[in-house]
Amino acid sequence: MMTDPLELPSGGRRPRLFFDLEETGFNEVPKRFRRFYRRWRGAGDKLGPNEALCPVCKVVIRSTKELRAGDRVYCMPCMSRLELVEEEGMLIAKVIY
Amino acid sequence: MADFLSNYSIQKWLESCPQGYLEDTVYGHGVDEREPEDLLQNEAYREQQIRTTVQLIAGERCALAASSGLVNAAPDQASKTFLATQTLDEGRHVEIFTQRLYDLGVKPIDLESTIKAYVNPHLGKFAEVLLEKIDKKDFVAGVVGQNIVLEGMAFSVFEMLHAGAETSNPKFARTLSGTIADERRHVGFGENRIGELIRRYPEKKPEVQRMQRDMTKHMLATFHEAFARNGGPTEARASAPQKGKPGPTYQGLNLAEASNEDMEEALSATVLKEFKTRLGRIGLDYQSPV
Repeated sequence: MMTDPLELPSGGRRPRLFFDLEETGFNEVPKRFRRFYRRWRGAGDKLGPNEALCPVCKVVIRSTKELRAGDRVYCMPCMSRLELVEEEGMLIAKVIY
Repeated sequence: MADFLSNYSIQKWLESCPQGYLEDTVYGHGVDEREPEDLLQNEAYREQQIRTTVQLIAGERCALAASSGLVNAAPDQASKTFLATQTLDEGRHVEIFTQRLYDLGVKPIDLESTIKAYVNPHLGKFAEVLLEKIDKKDFVAGVVGQNIVLEGMAFSVFEMLHAGAETSNPKFARTLSGTIADERRHVGFGENRIGELIRRYPEKKPEVQRMQRDMTKHMLATFHEAFARNGGPTEARASAPQKGKPGPTYQGLNLAEASNEDMEEALSATVLKEFKTRLGRIGLDYQSPV
């Protein structure tokens, strides 16, 4: 059973977009979870609407659903639990301790 | 308690690490990968690489001593289990970088004398500050020193070295990418575990911040001496394989062309910015050594 790193779907509004996740070559977690992560490619890289950057280890977390403020995601490579917040029109991931 | 570790297990470590990014590797690199011939034939460049690798071994020996010491200082079983896997990661790092010295032509019988000849004395002082906390079984200070300060520094140093080696030395780049993957877990443990503990024991803050200030002072001195004395890298790079090519970049710097001062500044600024951000997130104030 594969578990999407998106933990809490937020309710209401426009239905969320859905995404098919393909393998990205990320191999730092057990096989069944690998498609939910990819490497950050640096300053020129851009996050998709279903992606969040882990501030702790700089890995991109990917969900099958569009991400929104209030969602919680899990970064398996560094074990951080993150909550998405909106700051200046951008989605930022904050660590929950 | 360490809730973020509730899904962590040695089984998961096995599937991620030996059965993941380390699968089919030998001493952290591909079976057929070798040090480039032009590096081995260029005495100044080879010596610079030996000097750099010695610093990695010294840093990893410190990390091995610290993480193994922290196993017995950890207050809960989940942290002990994590630190047991980190201890093996650090032991592996010592081994793969030692093997690199042999690949660069150092004879096993000359290992300790080579380390003694090239090790940066400031790195020793950096390690002493950390290991003093470990000896006292001070878990909070030990984890901040090991998994935030030391690992945070290693994360940036490995990324810089990886950027420099990616095209000129795929063997070393592959070795480094495996250690970078390990560091992700280590810094993740540090931030998450201390983020939780520092809220519970706020009285620990001043002492931990003092340790961070002392470690930062020795780290900056290490960088300064490394870039000033490293052969120096400018001369070594003059005949290094990447010279004259578009070149690897790190923080916008062309590593093949940058001066030693530029490289020191880029690395120090990156590490300090990361420290400030990371410490701020867990509720600690970065203390400047100046």
